[in-house]
Amino acid sequence: MAVRAQFESSNDIGVFAKLTNSYCLIGAGASENFYSVFEGELADRIPVVHTSIGTVRIIGRLTCGNRNGLLVPASTTDQELQHIRNALPDSVVIQRVEERLSALGNVIACNDYVALVHPDLDRETEEIIADTLQVEVFRQTVAGHVLVGSYCAFSNRGGIVHPYTSVQEQDELSSLLQVPLVAGTVNRGSEVIGAGLCVNDWSAFCGLDTTSTELSVIESIFKLQDAQPSAIVNQMRSSLIDGMMHQ
Amino acid sequence: MRLEKCFFCSSTVYPGHGVMFVRNDCKTFRFCRSKCHRAFKMKRNPRKVRWTKAFRKAAGKDMAVDTTYEFERRRQVPVKYDRELWSKTLRAMKRIAEIRQKREAQHIKNRLKIGLELEDKSAVREVRQNIDLIVAPIARETSQYQRVVQLAENRESQQMMSD
Repeated sequence: MAVRAQFESSNDIGVFAKLTNSYCLIGAGASENFYSVFEGELADRIPVVHTSIGTVRIIGRLTCGNRNGLLVPASTTDQELQHIRNALPDSVVIQRVEERLSALGNVIACNDYVALVHPDLDRETEEIIADTLQVEVFRQTVAGHVLVGSYCAFSNRGGIVHPYTSVQEQDELSSLLQVPLVAGTVNRGSEVIGAGLCVNDWSAFCGLDTTSTELSVIESIFKLQDAQPSAIVNQMRSSLIDGMMHQ
Repeated sequence: MRLEKCFFCSSTVYPGHGVMFVRNDCKTFRFCRSKCHRAFKMKRNPRKVRWTKAFRKAAGKDMAVDTTYEFERRRQVPVKYDRELWSKTLRAMKRIAEIRQKREAQHIKNRLKIGLELEDKSAVREVRQNIDLIVAPIARETSQYQRVVQLAENRESQQMMSD
């Protein structure tokens, strides 16, 4: 099921939360409301952890991780690193990365097998990604944007990319990722997919503004409700893109 | 709370002290006081400024390579909390600091030893060259004087052997 949520009246929940198949990190906010939404959905299966990175709570954009590991930027303090280590399961490898592009969530998009990264990322960082997250790394752009982490979101079952991604590029990306992709939006037409959406293999969270059309696209491409007829998706996708064009 | 080292003089920068400079390639430089910051702005090389730790290490004045320094590193991969391990580490830190202090003192002592030896040698040379001031050339012909010299030389050679 895809769930709508809001972080202190901001719809960009992907900025304040990081969701993977083995853990979920939430930025420490003023109210527990946002946290409860995630906990209600996930707590019986994976740990949901309050944290900050370098005393900043935009952890979704600063960190990057999957089932196997978690990468945090160099600005992470030792206390935060220790807290995350203690809260996450032992099977998750945690590593701090000395990278110039410190918003790792914006420059890296990954699932449990493949990662797309910013073309200017350090070679060393690329190796660390491959080792820690156990993924194959590709330097890519999405619809001409270098911030791949912001403009796409994908799990092991499917993915959404920036609405202006051409069909050829979508094909290319989906052959790299080995998952079906769709161009779409969240939060009533927002193109920063990564910021508006947190997704893993069995659940998704999106901003409160997300329309029901967008929600149904999300549910079907990430296969959150099994046995969804794919014909409807295609129909909706074309109408969604139509809508974008006419705006 | 991590206590960073000053980029210029390598002293500890305590919270609320000094400044941090972030270059546009994201490298950060911390300075413990305006003296170090100013020296950096003047593009001084800390290895060439005599009062910095970097100079002392580069010139061999302080110990530079030692296993006790291997412990003091920024670690990128955290270890899960374990009370036993942490208390052991705390105990080890004190002991390691002790050992390091001893080794540093020894390093300086060893370094100064060379100076003492040179001083001895130059003193001997000076006596040899200016022996006329102590003993008149005529007196040097006496057998008593020669015996004294013989004894002194023997003692010196014995000392060399034992060294």
